[in-house]
Amino acid sequence: MKQLVSAPMLFVGAGIFLIVGLLLAFLYAPIDASTMGYSQKIFFYHAPIAETALVAFGVAFVAAILYLRSQDPKWDRLGVVCVRLGLLFSALVMATGMIWGKAAWGTWWDWEPRLTTFLLVCFLYVAYFVLRSVVEEEERRATFAAVFAIIAFIDVPITFFATRFLPAGMHPTVITTSGTGMPGSMFVSFFISMIGMTLLLVALIRRDLGVEELKDRVADLKNSIGG
Amino acid sequence: MTIEEGAKFVAAAYAIILAVLVLYYFLSARRVNALTRDVTLLEQEVRRRQGEAGGE
Repeated sequence: MKQLVSAPMLFVGAGIFLIVGLLLAFLYAPIDASTMGYSQKIFFYHAPIAETALVAFGVAFVAAILYLRSQDPKWDRLGVVCVRLGLLFSALVMATGMIWGKAAWGTWWDWEPRLTTFLLVCFLYVAYFVLRSVVEEEERRATFAAVFAIIAFIDVPITFFATRFLPAGMHPTVITTSGTGMPGSMFVSFFISMIGMTLLLVALIRRDLGVEELKDRVADLKNSIGG
Repeated sequence: MTIEEGAKFVAAAYAIILAVLVLYYFLSARRVNALTRDVTLLEQEVRRRQGEAGGE
């Protein structure tokens, strides 16, 4: 059980990729020549964190479907963990995005498509936890949460494609079907950070799943001794 | 915007990321330790009660 919880190699691997990605971003990748200038360095963690948040919500979506099909509580646990981590990464995206926005555009916030739909994603997944907190019966709570996670996920692809289909906003589209839109040295730094952030998500999912399993074990043991 | 001006924003962004991720890591590590301790104590209590019930 302890080994499942700690997942140390994943954390070490994530740390190595993230540090190398950061070093490359500052020492190898050039300073952006556009109006963003040096503040563009925020991109090297901001974008991977955003992609990772959306991946976490995607896993929660799959877990919700699997729960509704099997009624197996392990899928509910995976859903909870992924939504919680998705929200954590989303909060980081919002915070770093606002700082970057202030530096590059001179404003902390703009109601443009990407930012607005991402904020909506955050509100939807906060509502997921509100829903869980008001349903006491375990199976009903898991079922309602799974249905809600499926509905909430509708906004995730809308957020991802917002800058592609609604290009009126300020948010740039970096990676398109025609290329990455950045020099090779920038892409290498970004890609390594992306691997690091994905490994970090996997490590955190494993650890948090271990926490949820331990919580269930504590509850079972308390029930078995009548306390 | 000069590099010095941009660097303040960059430093703030990376400081927030580092602080939040490190804080989350240590909070969850503390939670794991506390829950592992609870499980150990509760398992000992279950065994003790089973032993008592077996001895009666």
